[in-house]
Amino acid sequence: MYQLSEEQIDFISRDIQSRGLEMESLQQDLLDHVCCIIEQNLEATGNFEGFYLATIRTFYKTELKEIEEETLFLLTHKNYYAMKKIMLASGAFSAIVLSIGIVFKFMHWPGAGVLIVIGIALFSLLFLPLLFTLKIKEKEQAQSPFILAAGTLSAILFSLSTLFKLMHWPLANVLGLTAIGIMLLLFLPVYFFTGIRNAETKVNSIVTSILIVAGSGLLMSLVRSPGGSTRLNELNTSYFLRNEQILHQEQKQVADFLKTNPGKQDAFAQSQKINALCEELKAYILERETGRKILPSELEKENTLLTDGWVRDYFKDDLPAAQKLKTLSSLVETYNQINAKTGNPNFVPIPVKETVLDKSEERTLAALNGFTQIQIMVLQNEQNLLAQK
Amino acid sequence: MRSPFNLLKMIYSSELIKGTLKTIILKLLADNKRMYGYEITQKVKELTSEKIQITEGALYPTLHALEDSGLVTTETEYIGKRVRKYYSLSQTGKTQAQEKVSELADFMETMKFLLDLKPQQI
Repeated sequence: MYQLSEEQIDFISRDIQSRGLEMESLQQDLLDHVCCIIEQNLEATGNFEGFYLATIRTFYKTELKEIEEETLFLLTHKNYYAMKKIMLASGAFSAIVLSIGIVFKFMHWPGAGVLIVIGIALFSLLFLPLLFTLKIKEKEQAQSPFILAAGTLSAILFSLSTLFKLMHWPLANVLGLTAIGIMLLLFLPVYFFTGIRNAETKVNSIVTSILIVAGSGLLMSLVRSPGGSTRLNELNTSYFLRNEQILHQEQKQVADFLKTNPGKQDAFAQSQKINALCEELKAYILERETGRKILPSELEKENTLLTDGWVRDYFKDDLPAAQKLKTLSSLVETYNQINAKTGNPNFVPIPVKETVLDKSEERTLAALNGFTQIQIMVLQNEQNLLAQK
Repeated sequence: MRSPFNLLKMIYSSELIKGTLKTIILKLLADNKRMYGYEITQKVKELTSEKIQITEGALYPTLHALEDSGLVTTETEYIGKRVRKYYSLSQTGKTQAQEKVSELADFMETMKFLLDLKPQQI
């Protein structure tokens, strides 16, 4: 039986710490353990230091720290199997939900949007991060953490960008381009050059790299070029401007006619109000589109192009514009009812269903042209009335 | 040869014992109320006539993992300048100990049958 002094216990304690152990409770365990062994096995007159060093040497293979590493490994991996299960379940679930959602979308059944959003959100925000975490934790990693991180990030961004694009949320294109950028400029070079250095992975790396480049290429070929977008916007803008021109021409003719024949002043009920509201809403859309108050005639002069964006957000339920649109819609309905009753055979009602009035026309230019057409139809009814007299 | 996990040094191959260390610890704690680390290693040595020797590198990580998952609780006592930690089973640990032991017993029966050591019905 050896009796350890306080100094010797301090010495052991310091030595254990200096060997890189940081967990206090593990230090305490090992200190007590070593002390027990020494007290039990060293003779009272034995050489403390030599015996201690020989004893502690039997605790490890290369260094004492590996006990702490093993402990941390066990502590962090206790959820390993649960995580693996969740990963597989969420992956399978999201793939199934997404597929069902796509079938619903094609069939125009309700609920398609919810299914697709849930599918992609689970895939990109649960499945992919879990896959990454599990791959990173694997003891013998095939790839470096950097490659895994870049690959996962790019995959997450790409699937989110698809989701944003489908839902017409903002920043979809930014996400998509970032994803492809990370994939082609970060992931691919690192993956390729680390892969071909190793004879075992050489062929695999080359094939996968080719697949990635070809896949991105196919994807990019589906994307409209910036020049193509400008061209489309030019065509759409001038289409809108031509409609405006026709409207103004007609308005001018009616005004001129009334000037020379002041006695014939007459109009269908509600005409003026409808016309005014249409003008107001068009001005509102142009303002939201371009970010400032701008007249259609100024668009051409300043070479400002309208985009093929969506007006959905401009007419959100809580905005005053949505209220105005409703007013206009009910005005048109009363206009149709009142004037149909007069029995005038030349009266043509203005359609409400499947037009901008019930928010069916959601593209900016379709909505603008929709309003202009309403104005033109009102004007044509006017002209018919005047012609009858 | 020692396992890559540096689990056990023993007469039996470490591969054989690797999956049973938890069960051994839980069973010992079930029979002895509370034990400290050194005591556990000595007890195993004694009971197996030194055929199974648990290394420190295997024992403490496993004890900490058992504590972390709530199967084992600790009490500390000061022995002069050093701290001794006594490990004992929690309520869930007690049930786990029984389950683990009967699972292992069942496994050993199956192995006997599989390896044709003592042919019998299972």
